[in-house]
Amino acid sequence: MVADTARSILDEEERRGLAEIAGASDLASLEAAETSTLGRRSRFQEVQRSLGTMGPVERRGIGKRTNEVRDGLRSAIAERRALLETEREDALLRADAVDVTLPGRRPRPGSLHPLTIVEYEIVDIFTRMGYRVVEGPEVETEYYNFDALNIPPENPARRVSDSIYLDVPGRPDLLLRTETSAMQIRTMESQPPPVYVIAPGRVFRNEDVTAKNMPVFHQVEGLAVDEHITFADLKGTLESFYRALLGDRRVRFTPSFFPFVEPGLSAGALCFNCEGAGCPTCGFEGWFEMMGAGMVHPNVLRGVGYDPERYTGFAFGGGYDRLAMARFNIADIRMLWDGDVRFLERFEGAR
Amino acid sequence: MRVPLSWLRELCPTDLAVEDLADRLNTAGVHVEKVLYPWAGLSGVIVAEILEKRPHPSSDHLTLARLSTGAGEARVAAGVANWEVGDRVPYAPPGSRVPVLDAPLAVRPMGGEESQGMICSPFELGISGDHGGILVLPSDLPVGGDVATLLGLDDIVLDIEIEPNRPDLMSMLGVARETSGMIGAPVGFPDTSVDEDEEPADSTAIVEVLDAERCPRYLARVIRGVSVAPSPLPVQARLTAAGMRPISNVVDATNYVMLERGQPMHPFDLAELEDHTIVVRRARDRESMITLDGVERLLSSEDLVIADRSHAVGIAGVMGSARAEVSSGTTDVLLESANFERKGILFTGRRLNLATEASLRFERGADPEGVGPAADRAARLIAHWAGGRVLRGAIDIGRAPERIRVAARPSRIARYLATPITAADVRETFNRLGIATEEAGADEVVIEVPGYRQDLRIEEDVIEEVARLRGYDSLPSTMPGAAQPGGLADAYAFRRGVREAMVRAGLRETTSLSFASAGEIELMGEPTSAAVPVANPIDAERAFLRRSLLPGLLRALRLNVARQVRSAALFEVGHVFSLGADGVDEGEHVAAALTGVMGTGHPGERQEADFFDGKGAMETLLSVLGAKDWSLGGPPGPPLHPGRSATVRVGGSAAGVVGELHPRAAGDFDLADRVVVLELDTRVLSLESSREVSVADIPRFPPVRRDLAFLVDQQVPAGAVTDALRAAGGELLFGVELFDAFSGPPLPAGKKNLAYSVEFRATDRTLDNEEVDRVVGAIARLIRTRLGGELRAG
Repeated sequence: MVADTARSILDEEERRGLAEIAGASDLASLEAAETSTLGRRSRFQEVQRSLGTMGPVERRGIGKRTNEVRDGLRSAIAERRALLETEREDALLRADAVDVTLPGRRPRPGSLHPLTIVEYEIVDIFTRMGYRVVEGPEVETEYYNFDALNIPPENPARRVSDSIYLDVPGRPDLLLRTETSAMQIRTMESQPPPVYVIAPGRVFRNEDVTAKNMPVFHQVEGLAVDEHITFADLKGTLESFYRALLGDRRVRFTPSFFPFVEPGLSAGALCFNCEGAGCPTCGFEGWFEMMGAGMVHPNVLRGVGYDPERYTGFAFGGGYDRLAMARFNIADIRMLWDGDVRFLERFEGAR
Repeated sequence: MRVPLSWLRELCPTDLAVEDLADRLNTAGVHVEKVLYPWAGLSGVIVAEILEKRPHPSSDHLTLARLSTGAGEARVAAGVANWEVGDRVPYAPPGSRVPVLDAPLAVRPMGGEESQGMICSPFELGISGDHGGILVLPSDLPVGGDVATLLGLDDIVLDIEIEPNRPDLMSMLGVARETSGMIGAPVGFPDTSVDEDEEPADSTAIVEVLDAERCPRYLARVIRGVSVAPSPLPVQARLTAAGMRPISNVVDATNYVMLERGQPMHPFDLAELEDHTIVVRRARDRESMITLDGVERLLSSEDLVIADRSHAVGIAGVMGSARAEVSSGTTDVLLESANFERKGILFTGRRLNLATEASLRFERGADPEGVGPAADRAARLIAHWAGGRVLRGAIDIGRAPERIRVAARPSRIARYLATPITAADVRETFNRLGIATEEAGADEVVIEVPGYRQDLRIEEDVIEEVARLRGYDSLPSTMPGAAQPGGLADAYAFRRGVREAMVRAGLRETTSLSFASAGEIELMGEPTSAAVPVANPIDAERAFLRRSLLPGLLRALRLNVARQVRSAALFEVGHVFSLGADGVDEGEHVAAALTGVMGTGHPGERQEADFFDGKGAMETLLSVLGAKDWSLGGPPGPPLHPGRSATVRVGGSAAGVVGELHPRAAGDFDLADRVVVLELDTRVLSLESSREVSVADIPRFPPVRRDLAFLVDQQVPAGAVTDALRAAGGELLFGVELFDAFSGPPLPAGKKNLAYSVEFRATDRTLDNEEVDRVVGAIARLIRTRLGGELRAG
């Protein structure tokens, strides 16, 4: 092949090849373009094969041109291939598209009951202070529920009609506990001082179901007995507890009477609803009654074999149903007991 | 206890505003529950004089009055005509307000005549319950004057909660003592002096006390020649404000003094007492009496009565009877002032279900020292209000007990309150309350407790007095150093784990009452004879304690369905009860109930709840608790679906049930869709559960995975195939997952295909295919010989 012919073929193949590569609309036609421009039967290869027949000067010139054309075509093919591959992938992904507005796939959410949430909060505050959680039976004896708590049968607070008694043959002394205070006695009987315990749980009163009252509600009882426990310790403990639970809300302590403590006190928080102005939530008092407390009565200590001259202690107890109601703006106490999903699902995020 | 402010101020002068006074009393533990304004609805009512009285032209029921109001004249129609020309009456002109009406008065037509407001009865002014006639006012009241001001109908009332240990606060004097202790103003004691007649009381009447234990003191005074009539209007108004009904001057005097001093008293018509004699004795068995409330009371020998020679005339300390009651014709009065033993009054009141102002005071403990002064005060008021002569002296049986002396150590009080307290401080506290003290030693103050303070008995009571008069809020606060780490009891921590697992399983916690009806017990397939009956149930819904948590959960499902909630998946953890050998067996269950559409809304996942939602929740629970050894047994029976339920065994013990509810049982709760339930005993779970975690056996060599499909008879349970797989697979078999189960064409009839993804692994080497093939061969043989199944592909 003469050099001129070879040169013109190379020019033409370069032009034709670049056009064909650019015109390839998919990977298959790009393959065809590659074969026809650089394949074994291509005219380019003819030129390449003929290089050996040329003189050294021509061969150098044409050889250089051959390399130039081949590199140009190869890089055009690679470029085109990358483009076509991207396009093909895009098309596949477009076909794989979903409606992102459809609802997500997730496990069905569960939730804790608001009373559980409040109970955990209270229990966690006291366990951080060094208290142990103890629990007892809901069916109690009159001894633990009343007698051992310095509440004799003639005490006006102990009316049979206010408590739920059980009809068990041979056991007329069984009733559903009216306060968690029974746990004070069970705990002290089971161990020597020091005692630092809290006891959450259900308690029972023989009442009708209304928007404000249920025959079943929840209390947490606390008891600390040790050498040198003072009334100031009781105040400080309750203040710390309420600070952890209620933040800066004002809390007041006023004298009150419970047979198993002396001195006794009643702890109230500034009403969550009216901030002290007086409203139905707080019985128009401006203060929300939170718990009863006091220094453990020496009769109670003596009853469990503790020496009241050596040991002193305090006890406190309060319901948390009304606390949960205030915290979560629950107007009707029955909502806590209904199991209405629309109510329960509000507590999905609460812990 | 209702304390009219004017009364309190009379006994303890103070200018404190009512809110501040209430605050101070609260600080002292005298709990002011409410401040009441009983006459807030009274304004603009004035004194008017009747100028003319004439019949209404068109109504027989109405009478017309022309009034002078001081500033002019007015005309009103009245429904009663107990008034005459010249009488002064309360007149409510248009625009004025009376407590019994919501709107102000207006000019309105009455039978064709215009009535410009109205003239008022005592009831309409809130003075008493008397609405039988217009209130005719004393003639010295100025025409045009404001009735509220003139009659004291502008009082404010403190409503005080009485703690059972402070009966002394059931009196104005008691509240005045506390007020004095808090603000320092002295108590002004009411006048108890009496102008006595020459005639001695003990020549006129006789008192015999046959039960000195139940009646340690009985004192009687006699007043002769009284005229029974209504009390002075301000007295009536004050009694009404204090919550008592005015009756007559004699009765009102005893009630007034009871409110003032806390001593209940009873006046008898002396002429009606046979032989002018009072006998205090036990009732005879089945003796009956009609008490003043009109109810016939059957008494027993446990009850103490006041009687004359022949008949009981009252239940001692509780309520009188119509016999010997003071009436309009009474002229001679025997006034009883006594002290009755607390328990006796309490148990009589409970037995008769009768609580009165008197019994409430006696059962808490009235002041044994107050008997005499109260009788003197009442005799004085009777003589003032009803006239008559108070006979000389009293018939007085028994006496008040010695005062109790309580010793207290100032050093201990100081330690207890973490505050410097000296003997002088202790004495000053009691001095403020008017209670005498003395120093008995270097570190001892002795308090001489007056009869009205029955709550002061031990040193701790003294500590409380010191603390509360200082104010709890002003005492220091400290923290005890708890000498132990805090923590949860095992059972409590385990219950938290149970709740956490149930929440993870997509269930919502609810809570229900601890009771069940007989029907609910039976519905759960249990006889009521095993359930614990409530002795005093309020209704049939609460006849028993619950044995299962399921009825409560099913009630909740019913409520949700009734409220158009489409799906509910609920759980509860709580106590259950059954009759046991020694009383009551109390256990704890966790239970769940699901119905409606499961899935959270993604279209492909929505399906009706069925057995496998319940089983899935259970599997999540057991897995989170680390209970690995569990199995299912046959259907437990009612109330569960016979073909879609199973008993659950955990660690070899019966733990509970899982399954769909029988459609009939679901129907009993108005549930039409499938209902899935789960109930397990948490104590059984806790024995088997383990929260131990070890990562020592995470495999180091790669697994070989094979998909194995078996063709077995339709009735062969998948669980049996899985068991056979595991048994034949031996040590090399690591994971088994059933990923497909189907029947129908192209499979032969009566057959089903179970497809497993199985993972083989050795802990010490990489397995080769030949080894795996040998194990698969063993599996195929066992499934063929044990279950008649065929390995289709592997």
